[in-house]
Amino acid sequence: MDVLLFGIIAEKAGRERLAITASDTRELRARLTDAMPFLASLSYAIAVDRHLLRDDRPLNGDEEIALLPPFAGG
Amino acid sequence: MKTHKKRDIFVEGAIPASFIAESIAEHATATSIGGHEIFLGQVRADEVDGKQVAAIDYTAYRDMANDEMVVIREEAFARWPITCLHVHHSLGTIPVGQLCFFVFASAAHRQPAREAVAFITDEVKKRLPIFGREILSEGGHGWKENR
Repeated sequence: MDVLLFGIIAEKAGRERLAITASDTRELRARLTDAMPFLASLSYAIAVDRHLLRDDRPLNGDEEIALLPPFAGG
Repeated sequence: MKTHKKRDIFVEGAIPASFIAESIAEHATATSIGGHEIFLGQVRADEVDGKQVAAIDYTAYRDMANDEMVVIREEAFARWPITCLHVHHSLGTIPVGQLCFFVFASAAHRQPAREAVAFITDEVKKRLPIFGREILSEGGHGWKENR
């Protein structure tokens, strides 16, 4: 699945999307930190299908995943 | 004028003062309105690591932000008897002193308009995935974080 990257995460990764394969959000997090070790020192939220992820859940691969650093609107 | 349909709140670049004036003028025909309340966000020359912020470059997860705005708007309409509610936020590079955020509520009476604008302003800052890269006057950059 494609993971959308924003803000400081997109900047540090040098890209705005990343392809990751994961069967649930726990695995997703592990794969993300493997691919982008700098994530370990950043504060960010995960959105699945445009909703903030609160509890781990399975993924079928069709979801829209996004990594969201702290919000700065307004 | 009371619609809860999804709109795109984002505008490219700073919000011109003339746009705000036109938005007010558009309500002249809505004669049940007795009061308008407005919040305007302006890019501030903050200091980051001893350097001054010259501009903020805004980006957003646009689809999620617009979806979440629909939810916030519905919450506001459920809580207050407001006639209209308009929200606009800038994307792109906005220099200090320019407007980047416009919240506008109208109602028969002042109190609901005031409370709705305060609520919307806070919730947008808290809940919308908008990101701000602070461009510093002496080179370099930082990332803004709402508290």
